[in-house]
Amino acid sequence: MFYLHLRNELWKLFGKKRTYIGFGAFLIAQNGMLLMFRFTKWQKNWERLLAGNGYLAQDYLSALTVALVMLIPQIILLMPLYTALVGGDLVAKEAEDGTLRMILSRPVSRFRLLLVKWLAGLIFSAVLVLALGGTALAFARIWFPWRGMFVYSLWPEHVFNLLSAGAGTRLYLFSHLFMTLNASAIVGLAFMFSCFNMKPAAATILALSFLFINLVLEHLPFFEPYQEWFLLYHFRVWLLIFADPVPWERVIGSLLVLGAFNVTTFLIGAAAFQARDIKS
Amino acid sequence: MIELTQLCKRFGRRLAVQDLTLSVPAGEIYGLLGHNGAGKSTAIGMMLGQVWPTSGQVRLFNQDITTHRSRALRRVGAIFEAPAFYDYLSGWRNLEILSSYTAYTPPQRIREVIEWVGLSGREGSKVRTYSHGMRARLALAQALLPNPEMLILDEPGSGLDPEGIHEMRETILRLHRELGLTILLSSHLLHEVEQLCSRIAVLNQGRLVFEGSLAQTRARGQWVRLRVGDFNRAVAELRRAQLIVAERDGQCVGLAAGAGTDQIVRLLVQADMPVYEVAVEQESLEAFYLQLMNGKREGA
Repeated sequence: MFYLHLRNELWKLFGKKRTYIGFGAFLIAQNGMLLMFRFTKWQKNWERLLAGNGYLAQDYLSALTVALVMLIPQIILLMPLYTALVGGDLVAKEAEDGTLRMILSRPVSRFRLLLVKWLAGLIFSAVLVLALGGTALAFARIWFPWRGMFVYSLWPEHVFNLLSAGAGTRLYLFSHLFMTLNASAIVGLAFMFSCFNMKPAAATILALSFLFINLVLEHLPFFEPYQEWFLLYHFRVWLLIFADPVPWERVIGSLLVLGAFNVTTFLIGAAAFQARDIKS
Repeated sequence: MIELTQLCKRFGRRLAVQDLTLSVPAGEIYGLLGHNGAGKSTAIGMMLGQVWPTSGQVRLFNQDITTHRSRALRRVGAIFEAPAFYDYLSGWRNLEILSSYTAYTPPQRIREVIEWVGLSGREGSKVRTYSHGMRARLALAQALLPNPEMLILDEPGSGLDPEGIHEMRETILRLHRELGLTILLSSHLLHEVEQLCSRIAVLNQGRLVFEGSLAQTRARGQWVRLRVGDFNRAVAELRRAQLIVAERDGQCVGLAAGAGTDQIVRLLVQADMPVYEVAVEQESLEAFYLQLMNGKREGA
């Protein structure tokens, strides 16, 4: 029965068009960035940067390098928006449409219903991240060869590293696990709000506001010593696995924090949902 | 089958349902009547475990809905006013999804029910292409899929055209006759309730103001149309003899308990008043309901 309920949730989630808004937006953004990288000074600057550090640009200006360049802003800017949109819909949209009342006239427990919804959100996060990473690499491969990987980022984390194509591919795939965890944390946050008696848009806006406040506070000098208390600090860990050496202590710590955050938002949402009255 | 005991529900300061005690016996078509906001939907919400009672108890099939919700709802189907579906999915897929929350339903059973409600041929179309009547049939199909013994219908005629209402009424009677279902029907369409239900409960501002059979509503305060030479004088005479308790419209009198039309005619003739017509008026549910509500308002 649990599998059946999960399958239902996936049908519902992937059956509606608004679930694909994120996928569509990512495709457009990726192509736009790729064109900008290819046909503006952006590529030249990277070639100069590599040459300035004593490396041959032709060895490292590859599909993997460009795919990562495309991913960084999308993971920071676009992913929270679209995952929050889907997370905010998970419960609140059903309550708004009236289908939740239809479901809850049946002998299914509220906790079971929420659990399958949350798992569907987790699966959506993984699918979105894999599609995002896969298409970024596929588009980058159209114009760039399969060679070594150059990782360079000043923000949100400072990372500089050069990797062989094999090692780069492994880390690129590995980073998807962390990105999925980030996406699921945002889905979970919006999901938690959507378990309360509110409109789906309100749940999405609250989740995005939470992230925005995190971002602002994190950058205030006063809060500098308390960086690890902010969610976005832990979100950035996906980029750190490309660093040399990898700061494993921080990576594992952030993994645990994100896992705990996911469980906490689910439990708060479940408690709120359990207590509320479902009315038309 | 359904037993509500001292049920109360408070939303903030507002008491939506207070001290509601009633029992829906097996095999009945039971009507829950009341104006908008009388507490019908809240009461139904509590029966289905969607709304938590502030106090009191709801039992379905002898199971407490708060503590044994799954067991209590296993043999219940429900239809709500303006049934909601996943419009972007097919009718068939909607049925698969909704029925799975009770138990796995084999495709053969889904096909049977689709045929029973008359949706054959359209089950593969997306629900957004369905008419209002087809959505009502789909709602009925989802309620019937788990083979329920009891149906709870919350304002099922709402939003339907006269043809749709007629079809809905026929379907409810068919469900009762062919499948032997116990049906709890909440409505403010008095005419529908009168034609369908054998027993009713009337709610007013969250309180139960009447519970009984339709026959009781007709027997209570029987009216007689009286055409005489001087109606006012006749009323005065009849009141003095304690044969009537009320009069209305300058032509009807409400009989006192135990009084009959023969006594009225005898008294008026003895009082030397010409009697042209005496006819017992079958009191409609509407008249009974209005009288009940007006009485409560005056009482308040």
